[in-house]
Amino acid sequence: MDILLSQVANGLVLGFIYVLIAVGLSITFGMLGIVNFAHGAFFALGAYFSYELVRLFGWPAAILAPFLVAGVGMVVEVVLIRKLYGKEPLLGLVVTFALGLLIEAVIRHFWGTDGKPLTPPQFLNGFVEIGPIFMTNYRVAVLVATVAVLVALWAFLNFTPYGRIIRAGSRDPEMVDMLGINLPRVFTGVFGLGCAIAAIAGILAGPLWTVSPSMAANAIMPAFVIVAIGGLGSFAGALIAGLTVGIVTAMTIQFWPEASTAAMYVLMLVVLLLRPRGLLGSQWERFE
Amino acid sequence: MTGKFKSVAAGLGLTLLAGVSTVAVTGGAALAQETVKLGILTPKQGPSASIGLNMAQGAELAVAMHGGKVLGKDIETVWLDEASPQVAQQNMQKMADEYKVVGVVGGNSSAATLAMMSVAEREKLPFISAGSAASEVTGANCNRYTFRAQAPVPVQVSAVFNELKDKKIYFFTPAYAFGQDVLRTGRSKLEGINGTEVGNDEVPVNTADYSSYILKIRKAQPDAIFGALVGLDLSNFMKQWNEMGMKGSIPIYEVAVSDTDFWDIGPAAATGTHVKPWYYNDQANPDREKEFVQKYEEKYGQPPSDKAFFGWFSMNAMIDSIEAAGSTEPQKIVPAIESWTYKDGTFPYYFRDFDHQLIRPAVIVKLKDQITDKWDFMDVVSWTSKDADETVAAFGTKEEIGCTMGDL
Repeated sequence: MDILLSQVANGLVLGFIYVLIAVGLSITFGMLGIVNFAHGAFFALGAYFSYELVRLFGWPAAILAPFLVAGVGMVVEVVLIRKLYGKEPLLGLVVTFALGLLIEAVIRHFWGTDGKPLTPPQFLNGFVEIGPIFMTNYRVAVLVATVAVLVALWAFLNFTPYGRIIRAGSRDPEMVDMLGINLPRVFTGVFGLGCAIAAIAGILAGPLWTVSPSMAANAIMPAFVIVAIGGLGSFAGALIAGLTVGIVTAMTIQFWPEASTAAMYVLMLVVLLLRPRGLLGSQWERFE
Repeated sequence: MTGKFKSVAAGLGLTLLAGVSTVAVTGGAALAQETVKLGILTPKQGPSASIGLNMAQGAELAVAMHGGKVLGKDIETVWLDEASPQVAQQNMQKMADEYKVVGVVGGNSSAATLAMMSVAEREKLPFISAGSAASEVTGANCNRYTFRAQAPVPVQVSAVFNELKDKKIYFFTPAYAFGQDVLRTGRSKLEGINGTEVGNDEVPVNTADYSSYILKIRKAQPDAIFGALVGLDLSNFMKQWNEMGMKGSIPIYEVAVSDTDFWDIGPAAATGTHVKPWYYNDQANPDREKEFVQKYEEKYGQPPSDKAFFGWFSMNAMIDSIEAAGSTEPQKIVPAIESWTYKDGTFPYYFRDFDHQLIRPAVIVKLKDQITDKWDFMDVVSWTSKDADETVAAFGTKEEIGCTMGDL
């Protein structure tokens, strides 16, 4: 029983990282209607930028990484993604898939194929033991940081004028445009926001996973699974699905490790068979 | 234009066309004869991308150290990706059909090597696997066109198991051909060392988070972990092992590790006692290998990993054998590799005729307690065998290996 409790706690940390990756993907899809296959590459870019900033200036400088990745994302939106709005969804899939490969190739070019060592900040060394639950200080910090980012994002989307514009635009962009709001600029901001959230996940995952070009692939598949389980465009759905995937993965490792990477796909299959829109997926007029 | 003139013009035109065609074909043949194409097939993406790059760089350096020529012709290398067994098999077919290479060096993972070697046999394409270790490669699945450079699993496992007498062991292996071989071999040797298995996990390749596995190991309280993770999978595990405060608590023993697995995570997390094919800073390395280290550092700005070494070693064997065969015909290259001998080692190393396994010991290394150099992480503890006789014995008999070699 002790080990199960410990695994659940551990699965929650993994789940929160997945949620962070998936929420950015979900927001991008919800607002722009683009299924962004390059999302994992922005996650990796966040880890690489933070590696470089930490190496040069120390851990406090890592806070700049999401802004840098958001900047890259906004440039990409203006140059490339903008041309995909209203087009065949398959075109968006192909273009963002190619974009992901391009970003990964750029990472290989500048940083090489080998992994980069990024260790947690010194003050987060050590671990906590509460009853049967064993967790490192860094993982507790990841948990706290992720919850803080998700709460801030939720508050931003629900209680600020910008958040209202984003939510309204995700449902009826024409109406928002007719109200005189500069929709292209909002779209650019939303894409940048999605990339910034992916980058935060990359920074937090960097000291846990090896910073390498292939970390993009490790992030993108769980993110898609979580978005599909939670329901496309649903913030709360992504949260529930991410935590569920984290716990299911941890428990599968406990009882059937060989199937641990397949477990989340089985979960997705079951959910989609029972509820094709995902757990909290609702009807979206613009995509019907 | 009269009919007679038309006929003459047409005849002249055809003659010219024929002449041009002849020149083109002859010119093409002359061009084709100017190069000998050699294939390099190693991972370019995924968890072993770093290993693949090192192996390819070693192979390229071997070409350069041969003056870029074999049989008096320029060598042209073709580097394709060994991303997965399926991709590796398709690219091996491409090597034969599209690029018309005369030999291939590469094959890092055992699963990919097993897929590639079936193409090697079918297309009669000499192939030296530089990185695989599963027994089947030179055992049940052996074929006449495939050779293997790295010591197989039983040799490496036996070397580590000498250190694990009377211990409670937790097996931690990857869930594919190589890992299953390591687990099977390890279990078969438990009784001989009076060891006990207290747990095992077969880990899917490309696992990012190992914390749940570490909790299981921590709960099982073994005396030692015996594993065989490869590439970034090992790097991620070591990193999280350290992050969870486990470094130094339970000793880790791994087989078939590479330098890049540890360079990728840095000194803080690197730990354990492992078997690996070669180490660049082994004082026992012969002069030829020291020259390779020097040239590699000059060209790539860092010391070669063991994978770079085996890329270099395998490509050397391929080029030397083509030269010895005096031909690019596979039926002449294969016997030349079978009789090729590397004379610069402590004793001669060679590909054994009955299974095409390179007979060469591996090194046992221990991660330094205090790592101060950017690259020199390890101390060489010993070798898996000390002399020629002991080495031949360690690699097993023909009956134990079970290879039935086909005809050319």
